[in-house]
Amino acid sequence: MKNRYSQIKNLKRVAFSNTVDSIVSLIIISIGITTLLTLSKWMIFSANWSVVSINLPLFLFGSFPNDQLWRPGLWISLFAIFSLITILGPQWSWLRKSLLLLWISYGPLGVFLLAGGIGLSSVESQNWGGLTLTILLTSCSAIFSLPLGIALALGRQSTLPIVKNLSSIYIDVMRSIPLIAVLFFGQLLIPLFLPVGLEIDRVSRAIIAFTLFVSAYIAEDVRGGLQSISRTQKEAGEVLGLHPFQITCLIILPQALRVALPSLTNQAVGLLQNTSLMAILGLVELLGVGRSVLANPEFIGRYIEVYLLLAAIYWILGTLMALIARHLEQQLTLEKKDL
Amino acid sequence: MRRIFTGILTFSMLLTGCVNSSVGTQSRLELIKRRDSLICGVSGKIPGFSFLNRNGTYQGLDVDICKAFAAAFLGSSQKVQFRPLTAPERFTAIRTGEIDLLSRNTTFNLSRDSSKGNGLIFAPIIFHDGQGLMVRKSRKINNIEELAQKSICVGSGTTTEQNINDAFESKSLPYTPIKYQDLNQVVAGYLQGRCAAMTSDRSQLAAAKSGFKNPKAHIILDDVLSKEPLAPAAAEGDQLLSDAMRWVVFALFTAEEKGITQSNINEKLEIARSNPQMKPLRRFLGIEGDLGEKLGIPNDFVVKVITSTGNYGEIYNRHLGPNSKVPIPRGLNKIYTEGGLHFAPPFN
Amino acid sequence: MKISYNAIAQLLIALLVIFVICILINNLTLNLIKTGLGFSFAWLFRPASFALAEHPLPYSPSDSYAWALFIGWLNSLKVIFYSLLLATLIGTCVGLFRVGKNALLRIVSAGYIAIIRQTPLLLQLMFWYFVAILGIKETITSPIGDLLSISNQGTNFLGIKLSAEFTSLLIGLSVFTSAYIAEVVRGGINSVQKGQWESFRSLGLRESTGLYKIIIPQALPAILPGLTSQYLNLAKNSTLAIAVGYSDIYAINDTIINQTGRPIEGFIILLLSFLFLNLLISNGMELLNSMITKSNNP
Repeated sequence: MKNRYSQIKNLKRVAFSNTVDSIVSLIIISIGITTLLTLSKWMIFSANWSVVSINLPLFLFGSFPNDQLWRPGLWISLFAIFSLITILGPQWSWLRKSLLLLWISYGPLGVFLLAGGIGLSSVESQNWGGLTLTILLTSCSAIFSLPLGIALALGRQSTLPIVKNLSSIYIDVMRSIPLIAVLFFGQLLIPLFLPVGLEIDRVSRAIIAFTLFVSAYIAEDVRGGLQSISRTQKEAGEVLGLHPFQITCLIILPQALRVALPSLTNQAVGLLQNTSLMAILGLVELLGVGRSVLANPEFIGRYIEVYLLLAAIYWILGTLMALIARHLEQQLTLEKKDL
Repeated sequence: MRRIFTGILTFSMLLTGCVNSSVGTQSRLELIKRRDSLICGVSGKIPGFSFLNRNGTYQGLDVDICKAFAAAFLGSSQKVQFRPLTAPERFTAIRTGEIDLLSRNTTFNLSRDSSKGNGLIFAPIIFHDGQGLMVRKSRKINNIEELAQKSICVGSGTTTEQNINDAFESKSLPYTPIKYQDLNQVVAGYLQGRCAAMTSDRSQLAAAKSGFKNPKAHIILDDVLSKEPLAPAAAEGDQLLSDAMRWVVFALFTAEEKGITQSNINEKLEIARSNPQMKPLRRFLGIEGDLGEKLGIPNDFVVKVITSTGNYGEIYNRHLGPNSKVPIPRGLNKIYTEGGLHFAPPFN
Repeated sequence: MKISYNAIAQLLIALLVIFVICILINNLTLNLIKTGLGFSFAWLFRPASFALAEHPLPYSPSDSYAWALFIGWLNSLKVIFYSLLLATLIGTCVGLFRVGKNALLRIVSAGYIAIIRQTPLLLQLMFWYFVAILGIKETITSPIGDLLSISNQGTNFLGIKLSAEFTSLLIGLSVFTSAYIAEVVRGGINSVQKGQWESFRSLGLRESTGLYKIIIPQALPAILPGLTSQYLNLAKNSTLAIAVGYSDIYAINDTIINQTGRPIEGFIILLLSFLFLNLLISNGMELLNSMITKSNNP
């Protein structure tokens, strides 16, 4: 009882301390309740969720062959399992240490599971779609753009004028172009820049375009991290007689990356959201499936349900990614303390 | 520096030489056979023509035409891959060779056919369409003149957009075009009341309307703004592929004309085999003569096509017939013997 | 010895880059010849033959493609400018709520930021347009007469008519960017030493006065760079206008590419117009920055 009383008192202190505050709080509460009521009323009585329930496999796996659905299914479940392990914080230290490796191998594993090879029948990339394709685009682009971004950041810090200028030009130009233009380049123009007879499929072209774009942003984040490392670190390395290459890779970069991790996480979440732009350019990733489903004569006009579902999926994924990154960050700092 | 530059130039010229000599003038048809798979560009977002059904496969008239090509070229309608393409992508995709052919609701017109235009070569028209306007009954609009000063929802970057402009401009009627990227957005904009009317090919209007909650509340105006003959297309300059495409479509028409269907094809085949005097039928089904070989495809391509997709009428009825989800009256799309426009030259 | 090693390395890298560029250009030329596309900008002066719903300057379908592109660029500029103002306004408010005293406001603004930042902008825009704006069945008028009225045909604000497409793009972009600006503002305010708050409170200044007179001027130098990059992001994000039917530079370019079949030329035009836009915004912000630093240190 006393506890309840102190809660009320606390509430009064934080939200109703004076007249203006009280009015504002009341308005917020009433708006919140009305919105919730309207939304839940709509979701239960007016919405027709058959568009979601019937097309659920489509939203998850796109047009992957029906007898092979276990492959994308396994891959997405692995995402959930990995996330759980990361967030719950494993008890076993060997697993904790390999978490980063686990996540890095997640993308290549997906490519193997989806594309096939070594014992799995091959599935062409135009059959990939839905959530599977969204996660694939995100994880593969992230894996490729991180090293490229680091290289560009180091290039921009380099003492060699040509390297420095080339990196700077690349980063600045790429950062001034809208993503959709880069993706447009990837889908429509890359084929024109390839020698006759050589073809790159559309999913790979999308990954190339995302990599080119995101790496410029990562480069700037990493550069911020690099600048935060004090010169003494470098000097310490020199005193130890390390090669400049060793100093960069073993001393400077790990620290810089740790500093840059929060902004790198933001880039990753941004990347996930931006994969939705591929719907404009004709890939059937999550939003693309949504738009295709809405063209099915059975489901014309059911767009609110579809948008809500997609928003929920993206939100959950994005939040999950942010959580995972935070836990990875904590574990990395833990290891540092262990040392 | 200059010397380096000249060096690079020479090298790239050498490269050019190599590539040029290795390309040759090979037909796409050979490539399709070697790959044992046909890559077909579709829209993927047009009800009745090509859309993703709930099993995750593409379905529709345009899709079945692709399947017919695959059956003819490769012996199986399963040997086809579909690439959903946006409107601006389609022509680049075909010119860079990313797809073998286009079956994407594409209007056959001079600019697209000519080598200084989009540089396509069209197969026979598989669907005669015309652009129309759909309005709400409650708006009491009966013709295009009454749409003056109103907003009209239209898909951007298509012939539709140019036609609507031509129609209004020629009558000096002002209007506001609200442009969307694809048909389901046009539908959404119209349904939500952004525009007084939506415009598209009449088949697409009918398709959209059939999916509305209350189809009776909307009418398609009698005004036909343009001819929209839709045809499959390949890249220009590939005689072998375009000939083969042309005669596969003609085979679909001829089969309907001769009453050969998916269900009676084996029967017909038996009759043709046992009656040597039925020359035209025997030639058509590839029992005698070398019509298929002349095209560079198997002699029995017609049998393969009809077994897997049925004749033109069957394809039409499956996707656009009275019992389908998107019923569109056949009108001009009947075979010529029934008063329509679909006519095939003889298989001689 | 070391210098010459570096010089060789640089030369090699430069050569490699030139080499790759040469190969790409060579391939492009080959492909353009093979596909018969060619490369020319002559089409820019042919009539566009498509109508535009919104044009700040006179435009008719018989005007040239070049003029249509310029109109598109102006349309982009227009939506960027207004979104920039609105986003700053909302973002500052949310950012201040986020560090303010009212806990409920703090929670609500944190929730707002979390929801907005974790869903794709494209989806948000489609929501604002197809669901929120077009979903309005009757005209909503603000309590104060003609100040503001919204219907699914557009907005009437102080007698200025804005289309539904513009309105939803404006709201969508502003709301999305405001969540990022709020974080920038919060970071800036948090960068001001805690002692500053205590000192003005001990002087007996009102919370709001102290905020505007003491805290914000000190937080501004930390806020401005973050703000500039958010403004640049907003400009780039405005290209998603194509999803809600607003005729911005990207949408018009897309239409033109489809009509003319010239993706390379269209892409180059798009790049140039964006480089120019970026210059405009970053120079404008630099001007603002120098004005603020001047007024801070007279």
